[in-house]
Amino acid sequence: MYEKKSGIIKYYFDEWGLNKNIGTFSWLLHRLTGMILALYLFAHIIVVSSGLWGPESFNTWLKVVQTPLTHFLEIFLLACIALHLLNGLRIILTDLLFVTKQHKAIFWVAGAIFVLFMIVTLSVFLPRVFSH
Amino acid sequence: MNQKTSFSSAYGWFIQRITGILLAFFLIVHINILHFGEKFFIDFNMVTERLQGSFWWGIFYIIFIPVVLFHALNGVWGLVQDYRPSSGLQKTVKAFFWTLGIVATFYGILAITTFL
Repeated sequence: MYEKKSGIIKYYFDEWGLNKNIGTFSWLLHRLTGMILALYLFAHIIVVSSGLWGPESFNTWLKVVQTPLTHFLEIFLLACIALHLLNGLRIILTDLLFVTKQHKAIFWVAGAIFVLFMIVTLSVFLPRVFSH
Repeated sequence: MNQKTSFSSAYGWFIQRITGILLAFFLIVHINILHFGEKFFIDFNMVTERLQGSFWWGIFYIIFIPVVLFHALNGVWGLVQDYRPSSGLQKTVKAFFWTLGIVATFYGILAITTFL
């Protein structure tokens, strides 16, 4: 259990190969979306901190990050946030409210909320992508 | 695995869940206002107008920034542990994450004060 892992990607594939179930899928998805969001967080802090050099600097940076491509990528970002947030709440519910036996049902409820959220997100963001 | 490490992991596990609950609130408010509002082109004046509109926005971000940084770095710390690093590497990574988190917290809060 505690042996050193030679390849982290292989480790995740191996885990999936051993346990192809909802728990492993959501565990892998949580790690993947978490890593993407952690990287985005630091990029976000750097962009917002351009305000320290004045309004012109901030507005220049904001023009760079508000293009059709970035508005399209924001859909992907919001999908990552929603997946991580909903799965995170599922983990908290199962851990702290001791509803482990219901974790699969909670997974599908979270999945349904995710689909609804993405329908709203796409209806808001797709017009933005094409409005430039 | 000594007892100190276990205690540290247990605290990390628990705080990750508490910060997760807080982040659900912070993110829903932050994203709803910035990405689902009528104005979708964000600029300096828009941000300043919003943050100066209420004293609570300053408080909101002063809490939000350290909470999100702790959650992010503690989460990546979990990924690092998946790799089963040596204790020496664990100490180095932990020191780096704490330094990065503290510096980014102060830098992020400083950046927000520009708009207040």
